[in-house]
Amino acid sequence: MDIFIYGLVTGSILLICALGFSMTLKTEGFINVAHGQMLMLGAYFTLGLTYIGLPFLIAAFLSVLLCGVTGLAFQRILFKPIKSNGILVQLFTSVGLAYLINGLVGAIAGKRMLSFDIPISRVVKVGDVYLVTPYEFMILGIVLATVIFLHIFLQYTIMGKHIRAVADNQDLAKIRGINPDRCSDLVWFIASSLAGLGGIFLGILGAVHLNMGWQQIVMILSVTVLGGLGSIYGVMLAGLLLGFAMEFGLLFVSSNYRTAIAFGVIILVLVIRPEGLQSLWQSKGRET
Amino acid sequence: MEGFLIFAISILTLAFVYVILCLALNIECGVAGMWDLGIVSYFGVGAYSYAIIVAPEAASYQHYLFGLESNPIYGIVLAIILGGVSAYLIGLPSLRLRREYFLITTIAFSEVLRITFSNENWLTNGVAGIYNIEQPLKSYFSPDNYIVLLFVIFLCFSVIVYKMVNKLSFSTYGLSLKALRENEALAKTARIEPSKQYHSVYVFTGCLAGFSGALYVWLNTLIVPTQFTPNVTFFVWTALIIGGIGNNRGAFLGAIFFVILLETLSFLNLSAELALVVSSLRIALVGLALILILRYLPNGLLREKPTVL
Amino acid sequence: MLTVTNVDKFYGGVKAVENVSLEVNKGKIIGLIGTNGAGKTTLFNVISGFDKLDRGSVNFDGQEISNLLPSKIANLGMIRTFQTATGFPRLTVLENLLVFSENNNFEFYKNFLNKNEQNKEQIEKAENLLKKFGLFEKKNQWVVDLSAPELKILEFARAIMGNPQIMLLDEPAAGVNPALLEQLMEIIQELNGEGITFLIVDHNLRFICDISDFIYVMNDGKLIAQGKPDEIVNNELVIETYIGK
Repeated sequence: MDIFIYGLVTGSILLICALGFSMTLKTEGFINVAHGQMLMLGAYFTLGLTYIGLPFLIAAFLSVLLCGVTGLAFQRILFKPIKSNGILVQLFTSVGLAYLINGLVGAIAGKRMLSFDIPISRVVKVGDVYLVTPYEFMILGIVLATVIFLHIFLQYTIMGKHIRAVADNQDLAKIRGINPDRCSDLVWFIASSLAGLGGIFLGILGAVHLNMGWQQIVMILSVTVLGGLGSIYGVMLAGLLLGFAMEFGLLFVSSNYRTAIAFGVIILVLVIRPEGLQSLWQSKGRET
Repeated sequence: MEGFLIFAISILTLAFVYVILCLALNIECGVAGMWDLGIVSYFGVGAYSYAIIVAPEAASYQHYLFGLESNPIYGIVLAIILGGVSAYLIGLPSLRLRREYFLITTIAFSEVLRITFSNENWLTNGVAGIYNIEQPLKSYFSPDNYIVLLFVIFLCFSVIVYKMVNKLSFSTYGLSLKALRENEALAKTARIEPSKQYHSVYVFTGCLAGFSGALYVWLNTLIVPTQFTPNVTFFVWTALIIGGIGNNRGAFLGAIFFVILLETLSFLNLSAELALVVSSLRIALVGLALILILRYLPNGLLREKPTVL
Repeated sequence: MLTVTNVDKFYGGVKAVENVSLEVNKGKIIGLIGTNGAGKTTLFNVISGFDKLDRGSVNFDGQEISNLLPSKIANLGMIRTFQTATGFPRLTVLENLLVFSENNNFEFYKNFLNKNEQNKEQIEKAENLLKKFGLFEKKNQWVVDLSAPELKILEFARAIMGNPQIMLLDEPAAGVNPALLEQLMEIIQELNGEGITFLIVDHNLRFICDISDFIYVMNDGKLIAQGKPDEIVNNELVIETYIGK
């Protein structure tokens, strides 16, 4: 039972971290390596804001918005001007950005492991079963709400439909009078906010440190590829699946190999099903 | 010798290790167009192969395999061979994939390897690493002279690798790689079998990366698993992009430029606290340089040019 | 020399090619027409080894080739083109030809050990081809800088470089202006005169009728008619399903 719950928590956080990444991949078409650093930025923003005296929840909320705005600024200043130079240039600009963020945060905040100033909470016990801590419970709730919100946004609002249209076919979307720049802006804002949120979750359950972005980006990449490159629902499934896989795997190997399990699963899945999980529910369409 | 000169020479010596790695990456990714984010795997395998062969027998508080204290030449040869063998094995499943899928599989393998290096104490002494690995020929030279000797040796190695990679890039084999990079389907109609070409260039890259891994340990005299994070892969890629992907001279220059950029600030004599800040800032500097170069020179310092025959 | 017998090809549950048989005799120009989505390109992919067939057989020069890799099939002397002629964008015009030269050795260790200079003879052959097709001036330029008509022409030069016995052309007339089409037809006829067999897929009925000795018509994955050009243009079924309306 507890494995199931741990898996659910691990998976939900992975999912939130990877969602934004896969949105930029889908609409902008490149691998945004700086997404991992946006996670870290979210956690450090929160630290900074609580440091100047704001209550934790307010600090966290503001940090999420701040991440969104920062992401938007990056899109405007860095990525929009080089869009025509191809995905490799965009990818490595994001690598450069990742270094830049990481270096600046390191210079300001130092390299020590930090943690949020929140009270340690006990596991809630129902009957004989140990459930989650209130924090984990809260995280699960927020993740669920976020996912539902995102689903409604993408499926039923005009802006959401535009984003999906741009993601499917940019040229066609343009012909239909959709402004791809506005969609890009919005996607960057949402993606970076989600990253900030994920980073705060990671900080609540673990520590805040300089390497968290680099550690997570590899994981995020894996979830995204496993979910079938930019398919948002595939990513959700893949996040949960990897979360469970990591927790179940611990029954068989030592906890040092926790992430190695995830990578093992990814390698296995890709070798058997090269298109990722998406291929399970999408038959491969080919033109004749 | 003057402090600065010694510093400059040792930085360049380190740069030559990166040059070899960067050239290896260039023939694989620049010439053959593969999306490999796992080059650190073979770098790591080479480094550990060299370390456990050349290091003395493990002391009572350490564990690692072999510790033969054997001739470093064997260490280097083993590093090259095992670098190639591991590339061959990892290539078997992963080379069936392309682009993003290949990228993620290679980076996943490199993480699995790194985690293995940190946890399999019997093999690698785990996170504690292996220290005081004696440098070949060291006892015959004064410390200053040895630094110069290393510089010369590593320079020769990197020039040899450059010549080799360059010759291969412009051979018929290189032509087939470029053809695959440009248009795989059309390349097949030119009698080129993709899996064969990809696998061979992958193994070749593995051998070269293994070689540079051995040189890395030779230079550093120690080895710990944290030296082999995907960061190395990103560093080498950054160097290659800065230099000019697809151009071997660019790869050579990019690696040197990158290491100088990364290491120069460490020459400043600073208080411990300030040194920490500066060590973060130089990462930021590398990032900024990469962003600016891509903005204003998207093809790198030396771009790939048409081959004139 | 090329015999396709009862070939089926499915994608998911959809039959892209169903029970198609055709025969290409040596020295002939055979046309294959059909609307978009009729299964022509799928059939091409199956013949040239890019797709595995689900049933049937493909026989080339007395050898079963349906389970061979594309590179092996190319090695037997069958060279195909693709709908979009992009060539190898960042290889020079000359290199684009040299990739196809017959005595290339792509082995790693051969190239690693030997002094492997591009064969003088082959370079000369390539240069002569370029002169013939008016591309010599651009031989050291990247193909990405060529115009669309030049790319079409280059496609033929490249194929000839490989000394094919048979060329499979996938929609050579698509997006080609009348003057260039005239030129392409001349090239095809000239090559045919030199003994190269052609199988040409297109949906331009006039072009196919003008150039072919024999024509197959596909619709919805099936062959619906075959015959000499004058028979085809008068075939009611063809007129109904193809020219229609």
